[in-house]
Amino acid sequence: MVRDVSFGQYFPGNSLIHRLDPRAKLLIFIAFIVIIFCTFNYAALGVTAAFTALFLILSRIPIKFYFKSLKVIIFIVLFTSVINLFYGVGDPIWQWWVFKITWDGIHRAVMVTIRIICLILSSSCLTFTTSPTELTDAIERLMSPLRAIRFPVHEIAMMMSLALRFVPTLMEETDKIMQAQKARGADMESGNVIKRARALVPVLVPLFVSAFRRAYEIATAMECRCYRGGSGRTRMKTIHMGRRDVLAFIAIALVIGGVIVCNIFLGKTV
Amino acid sequence: MSALLELKNLSFVYGQGTPFEKKAVSDVSLSVNKGEFIGIIGHTGSGKSTLVQMLNGLIKPTEGQVILEGEDIWKKPKEIRKVRFRVGMVFQYPEYQLFEETVRKDIAFGPSNKGLKGEELDKAVERAAAFTGLKSDLLDSSPFELSGGEKRRAAIAGVIAMDPEILILDEPTAGLDPMGREILLSQIVNYHKERGNTVLLVSHSMEDIARVADRIIVMNQSRLFAFDETKKIFARGDELGQIGLQVPQITRIMQRLRGMGYDVPDGVLTVDEAFSAVCSLLKKEGRIW
Ligand SMILES: Nc1ncnc2c1ncn2[C@@H]1O[C@H](COP(=O)(O)OP(=O)(O)OP(=O)(O)O)[C@@H](O)[C@H]1O
Ligand SMILES: [Mg+2]
Repeated sequence: MVRDVSFGQYFPGNSLIHRLDPRAKLLIFIAFIVIIFCTFNYAALGVTAAFTALFLILSRIPIKFYFKSLKVIIFIVLFTSVINLFYGVGDPIWQWWVFKITWDGIHRAVMVTIRIICLILSSSCLTFTTSPTELTDAIERLMSPLRAIRFPVHEIAMMMSLALRFVPTLMEETDKIMQAQKARGADMESGNVIKRARALVPVLVPLFVSAFRRAYEIATAMECRCYRGGSGRTRMKTIHMGRRDVLAFIAIALVIGGVIVCNIFLGKTV
Repeated sequence: MSALLELKNLSFVYGQGTPFEKKAVSDVSLSVNKGEFIGIIGHTGSGKSTLVQMLNGLIKPTEGQVILEGEDIWKKPKEIRKVRFRVGMVFQYPEYQLFEETVRKDIAFGPSNKGLKGEELDKAVERAAAFTGLKSDLLDSSPFELSGGEKRRAAIAGVIAMDPEILILDEPTAGLDPMGREILLSQIVNYHKERGNTVLLVSHSMEDIARVADRIIVMNQSRLFAFDETKKIFARGDELGQIGLQVPQITRIMQRLRGMGYDVPDGVLTVDEAFSAVCSLLKKEGRIW
């Protein structure tokens, strides 16, 4: 079923990571992503990998869901690592036609694989532990200074949260429509690519119809409740930075420091 | 009589292996004979829709078997589509499945998947439209221009056109006006009588079920609560009340009359029956108000 994808799903919980302020989480996540791609040797990469592992453990979400989210991107990982494998410079240790493998290429491939895995695991950690509402709330608050230059922060955040809100609904809808068409003998599991693409028409048409209908309905419902944009709105749930958020910032500072120290003192692998 | 459809220890769990695990059907065993009209009732969330979706292989039971004419429908998973032509399923709110340019084409989707062509296909479409009372001049308009009730009819016709041996309807009358419900229901009954096929009808309306069903499946909290003849089920008013269901109003009235000492028969299910019972009682006692 379509609904079984675990990538990007929120798992309610009460772990340390769940309770972090979403703004802090988002900032830390961004910093962490940047630092993952600024690792120049294995020691630095090791530091980030260790912290990724720490995040996963602290999130208290069964490890199998992280594996599931990795399964989704396994092809991307393979593809990029193979490309990197053949793009090394230096003396070839194996060569065939234009393909050559060098130690440099092997190092690149290993590092890129570990980086992507860390990236996926940490972003899964973020989405597993932060509800879409918290996330858009955090984005809105973090971007609010942009309001000074008349950037429509609230509108964009509202659009994002509406879109996120409808992801599960639309998935459910897709599922239902697929079931209904299968009940009428639609064949979606066999045939070649063209046949399969054609088989999607009976699913996509009703899906679009209902998506438009829902969009109108939600617009009407918002108007009925006198929604008139962002100015002057207050929030039901306010978010506050606390002690644990400060600790989290200290932790990420340590990671950044660690990576920089490793980069400076241990030289470049690639 | 050998059973047409047999369920053996059927269970279904949504989202198995995730934190959202939800047992929707547990350990249901029963068998349905050819030509029966079966009603399915139960509180909302009791697992009725989940149960019926397993009957034509739309979802695979997590445990247990669905046996259609002696053969497990999941024995050859590749041929599950064949089962879907034999067991037709009309979903709750089926109108969202419409997608073609014209109603005619949409109704033809099922039968043409089944392999019907040309004249045969046209005939199947026209007949199905007639069965559901869809006016023939609507057949060439777009399904999105129809009213809610007409859409519902078109969607039901799309399943009936496949001419299934077993027809499952999941709350076909939900959200229709009283007149529309009445007409649709009698059309389903007529269809059943004419075709002699087996019908399973899920409904929240006890009155409807009482009028049309031979036997009733009662679901309660994912389990099979009872499966018996209509009269016998509705004679158990107290038990039904405990699981949040009711017997038809007229049955309740007659039970109350009996309780007050009047000699009316037990298990009256329709207003007509009640009317003749009360009339004969009045005649016997010689009292006319
Ligand atoms: N796709 C799904 N994913 C997860 N849980 C589901 C899903 N569909 C139904 N459920 C759950 O399974 C249980 C049984 O649902 P089902 O739809 O079979 O009930 P029902 O008897 O048809 O109710 P109703 O009368 O409201 O249609 C419910 O508790 C519901 O929350
Ligand atoms: Mg239902």
